[in-house]
Amino acid sequence: MSGFEVIKAGVFTLVQDRGRYNYAHLGVTSAGSLDEYAALWAHKLLDNDINDNLLEIAFSNVELKSIGDTTISITGAYCEFFINGVLKPVWQSYNIKAGDTINIGKFTSGTRVYFAVKNGFTIKKEFGSNSTSIKDSLGGLSGNKLVNNDFLPFVDTKAIVKKRVREDLLPKYESELTLRVVLSYQESSFIKEEKEKFFNSSFTVTSDFNRMACKLKGEQIKSSLDGIVSEGISFGVIQIPKDGQPIILLKDRQTIGGYPKIGSVLSIDCFKLAQAKIGTVVRFEELNIEDSQNKIKSFYSNFF
Amino acid sequence: MNIKIASADSLIIYFSDTISKEVSLKVKSAYKRLKEKNDKGLIEIIPSYTSLFISYDIFKFDFEGIKSFLEDELKNLKPYEENNSTLINIDVYYGKEVGLDLERVASFANISVEEVIQIHSSKIYEVYAIGFLPGFAYLASIDEKIIVPRLESPRKLTPKGSVSIADNQTAIYPQNSPGGWNILGRTTFELFDKKLEELSPVSIDSKIKFNPISKETFLDQGGVI
Repeated sequence: MSGFEVIKAGVFTLVQDRGRYNYAHLGVTSAGSLDEYAALWAHKLLDNDINDNLLEIAFSNVELKSIGDTTISITGAYCEFFINGVLKPVWQSYNIKAGDTINIGKFTSGTRVYFAVKNGFTIKKEFGSNSTSIKDSLGGLSGNKLVNNDFLPFVDTKAIVKKRVREDLLPKYESELTLRVVLSYQESSFIKEEKEKFFNSSFTVTSDFNRMACKLKGEQIKSSLDGIVSEGISFGVIQIPKDGQPIILLKDRQTIGGYPKIGSVLSIDCFKLAQAKIGTVVRFEELNIEDSQNKIKSFYSNFF
Repeated sequence: MNIKIASADSLIIYFSDTISKEVSLKVKSAYKRLKEKNDKGLIEIIPSYTSLFISYDIFKFDFEGIKSFLEDELKNLKPYEENNSTLINIDVYYGKEVGLDLERVASFANISVEEVIQIHSSKIYEVYAIGFLPGFAYLASIDEKIIVPRLESPRKLTPKGSVSIADNQTAIYPQNSPGGWNILGRTTFELFDKKLEELSPVSIDSKIKFNPISKETFLDQGGVI
């Protein structure tokens, strides 16, 4: 069978797709690629379906050996990327022959690399998705991250025209980030002064940052509510716990929770946050619901 | 009924701001109605104690559009029919080896361990919400006599199958997990089972009754101490 032999799995490499839906009412998280911008580009470079799966690689040191002919693409974090020991640029597609070795080394900017193969890996979906959710033990190869000696099967394809992403569409992963927020949920429990503080000060990304959530550090923001009744939570929502430090919930978030929430970061801005390093400076900017929806629609119309 | 923005592509419907059985029945009724609608524009619907969270397809609905769609859809809600709910009996071994907080709860409530077990296992509980962990069902309400606060500092590990209480709620841990609830016993009942088409045998339609069993029966069922 054709596929990639996982020689080195890396520290945290997951199979992801656009996520698992229709099970949130049972407490099952959506999961899915944390940076959809990079993931969707990886598929677009291969003319893949947007719902195909790929690898999300956090941290370096991944080595794959190809058993078969295919085309791959690599996007997301800028990294040292080698085919048979030769350094290659990222945000491109490459034709691969049986026996080729692929290495992903040090990241120079950004924190997550996306690695896609033509038509995706031929892995059986679990409850509608290939997304790995470690907490739920679902998806991927065994509900877990990749380990050495795993095998990622694909169907052989003939070489196709190599593509690369246009220069001006390449993301820059900068040390300062502005995230657009639509006010929501318990926003009225934050008085005018607290909202002004929230939108006028800057926060930094702490080490408390994983696929579930990103905790920020900065000015204390206060809600007039002590706690709330547990309720469904959205991707990108900003929870303000008692310590006043915002937490942005991401793809592996709990489905329900109970902290006051001031608003939600636009999904397309969470994709940028996904590439942020510890210490990145974050500012928030308010956007109304109509403009927010229009921005998101125009983002996806580039890929649909 | 109060509809609020949750994010650019989701909203939340509040039926009340306080928890009650009546409110819970409204939530369940609205949830059922929208599920039956089977509208592809509604991507995810998450019921909880007093609210219904909905994420939706913004290529199909803008916020005002879905708001009026929902107001229209939910304006003549039929009361939730409780007799449609299924009673699930769950065997529990309330032994001291697994009921790590039995004695603490008993002394807090100023009753015997046997009374704690008798009180906990004699009620039929309703499902108010599912979340926290896959298959983790928040069940209520427990008898006032055994209302005990959460542990001051959560355990690093609450074993899978632990039947536990906190405030006026009770629940079963579907997997090993950190947790701050008081553990009364353990069950082999699977709350999250990949072999099931629906993943979990428990839904917000279920009612739960705990049935005390002996150590021998628990071990026969595959229980681990």
